[in-house]
Amino acid sequence: MKSAGRRAALTAGLALGSLLLSACVTGGGGGGDTSTKAPGGKVSGKITFQTWNLKNDKFTSYFNGLIAAFEKAHPGTDIKWVDQPAEGYQDKLSADAAAGSLPDVVDMGPEAAYTLAQAGVLLDLGKADPKAKGKYLDKAWEAMTFDGLGGGTYGYPWYLNTGPSFFNKALFKKCGLNPDKLPVTYAELFDQAETMAEKCSDTMMIARMPAIETFGEYGVPLMDGRGEKFTYNDAKGVEYVERFRKLYAKKGMDEEALNNLQTKEVEEFKAGRLAYLPGSSYTLDDLKATAPEVYKNLGIGPRINNSAPNMYIESLVVNAGSKNQSLALAFAKYVTDSTNQLAFAKKASVFPSSAGTLDDAYFTKDDGDPATKVRLESTAQVKKAVVWWPPAFSGAADSQTLREQIAQALLGKKSVKKALDDSVKYSNERLDANK
Amino acid sequence: MTIEARPGTPLKRGGGRPSRRGGTVLATHRWILTPWLFLLPGLTVIVLMVMVPFANTLGLAFTDSTLLRQGQYVGWENFHRMFADERFTTALLNSTLYTVCVVPCMVVLPLILATLVSGAGRLSGFFRTTMYLPVVMSPVVVGLIWTNMLDKRGLVNALFDTLHLVTEPVPFLSDRWLLLFSAMFVTVWTGLGYYMVIYLAALANIDQSLYDAAAMDGAGVVRTFLNVTVPGVRSTMTLIAVLSSVAAFRVFGEIYVLTGGTGGVGGGDLTMTMLIQREGTGLQARTGYAGAISLFMFVVLGALLLVQLAVQRRQRSS
Repeated sequence: MKSAGRRAALTAGLALGSLLLSACVTGGGGGGDTSTKAPGGKVSGKITFQTWNLKNDKFTSYFNGLIAAFEKAHPGTDIKWVDQPAEGYQDKLSADAAAGSLPDVVDMGPEAAYTLAQAGVLLDLGKADPKAKGKYLDKAWEAMTFDGLGGGTYGYPWYLNTGPSFFNKALFKKCGLNPDKLPVTYAELFDQAETMAEKCSDTMMIARMPAIETFGEYGVPLMDGRGEKFTYNDAKGVEYVERFRKLYAKKGMDEEALNNLQTKEVEEFKAGRLAYLPGSSYTLDDLKATAPEVYKNLGIGPRINNSAPNMYIESLVVNAGSKNQSLALAFAKYVTDSTNQLAFAKKASVFPSSAGTLDDAYFTKDDGDPATKVRLESTAQVKKAVVWWPPAFSGAADSQTLREQIAQALLGKKSVKKALDDSVKYSNERLDANK
Repeated sequence: MTIEARPGTPLKRGGGRPSRRGGTVLATHRWILTPWLFLLPGLTVIVLMVMVPFANTLGLAFTDSTLLRQGQYVGWENFHRMFADERFTTALLNSTLYTVCVVPCMVVLPLILATLVSGAGRLSGFFRTTMYLPVVMSPVVVGLIWTNMLDKRGLVNALFDTLHLVTEPVPFLSDRWLLLFSAMFVTVWTGLGYYMVIYLAALANIDQSLYDAAAMDGAGVVRTFLNVTVPGVRSTMTLIAVLSSVAAFRVFGEIYVLTGGTGGVGGGDLTMTMLIQREGTGLQARTGYAGAISLFMFVVLGALLLVQLAVQRRQRSS
């Protein structure tokens, strides 16, 4: 999933969650540790807090409550909440950063934070607030710590998302596969996809090209040890893409699939033409509501991987040029503290990144409901998961180039090795250009 | 009494000699400033929105700047990179092919349409309006309509299937060349009405006596069209060729929407403008490189315009 797509998936999921999920909601925000102390100064003044696609019927009351509680606990503070549509959010951030008008606290993924941190726009929280590290899951803190930028940490981890693999068992039966033996590794997935291609010409197992995070799940080393060069063109990377090439040659993927984005993949699964869908925590309810026929034959398994499952992370960054930096730090830390993360996770069907919050009964107690089962399995997956997406793989252009190069390899226009070499060269050039 | 103003001549009121007193001097200055004051709003917009960005692009093209970093002078490095970039070759080929195929259609088809609907018949107004409808539609809406029509499971393929014309769906949106030609079709479909209106205005200026004379000479429909209509709208044809070639070389919306914003399978349908957009936007935008591609595009379009203007001049003199 490309970065824009990743953002769209996270925010669309939040919006979707707002429509589909209501049973597990436990009131608005504002119950966190409002006495949060800023690491370096008086908490007062006015700041702007930027989110994306969160001002709606579902989340507005949560954030208003959250902000009101903070302002009440810190007299003399004023938090201005700004929310914008998530489409093209990198362009909006670009414009703000270039104009020097980035809000004080911004909801952001690591790939956007990396480039802004590289330009010196974001505050290094590892230096400004070193004690914060212990309040978050180690892997979440590490995901916002950028080796390629000297090991600085540029965002308070906020919410996490991952999900299981969904399968259409009816298609498994129709195409001569055993629906009780769903694939767990990539080797099994490709083998079964090839069998499906042989038996059914109108059905596909896979309908989307590999993305950078799936290279990580396959076990491909994505960057060098210092986080300064991409390395996914190594032998393991070639092996991974070769499986796609072989599948395409056997007509297990059509030409349209070489250009599909995530939305198209979901559409195909809902239409009953696709047998496998890597999902998120929102997918089950979405399928239940919009594709009841597919839902009836749904098989759910762990996220397919050879190393560790992937998860996505969202963070709150602090503008290095904020005039009220102490207030910005205090507020960002307050929004991402354990109590508020738990409340938000319940409301949005995501997972908290604060230390210990995943031990809450909400994530551990099974009540027999299928949605709870998926949540519990996803929680177990979060504990093993890795944020595979390298933050330095920043722009949408990197993802587009990777997809295009692999498509050219599958079409036989160049070898897989050459395609990956060209993609790595392009991404390294962009990375170097921004140093 | 007539007040006459000629360049270089102060405005004289009442025919008297200009006084050396301050009031008249002020009036003289006002007279000189007046046209500039009229020009000021337009000039300000052009300077701020066109000339300054152009000068900025010119400067950027020779630097390694990114969106968030100033960059340094790198000479012709961006241009060397550009010519070595396989995406640039693809984009240049696609944009050139687009121009070569679309421009003749845009020059000829609207003229034929305009000729057919230029009369005062009952249905002429209806057809004129109908043909103009795509012009007022949003390019994104047009793109979405055609995306749904041309999809593997879209209306066109369903029709072909019903008529047993194909055994497999035609890959309008996934085959590189089919997608490019589909986009050209959409461009022509959208632009027909616009250029038809321009031709209608030109046709109205052709002397009716020329048609009468041609009829008396026994000229048929085709001969009248070739020997009366075409010469009568020749300058308009040149104008449309210029306008449509600039628009075609800068094509973006049609292909962007038909490919879902991806540039087609393997980037095979990238155009020059799409490449500039890809390199020049986003947090990691390489503004220097995007500036170099923009500058190259400007030179190509400038050359194209000069050739067309030269052709027009030659036609006028002959």
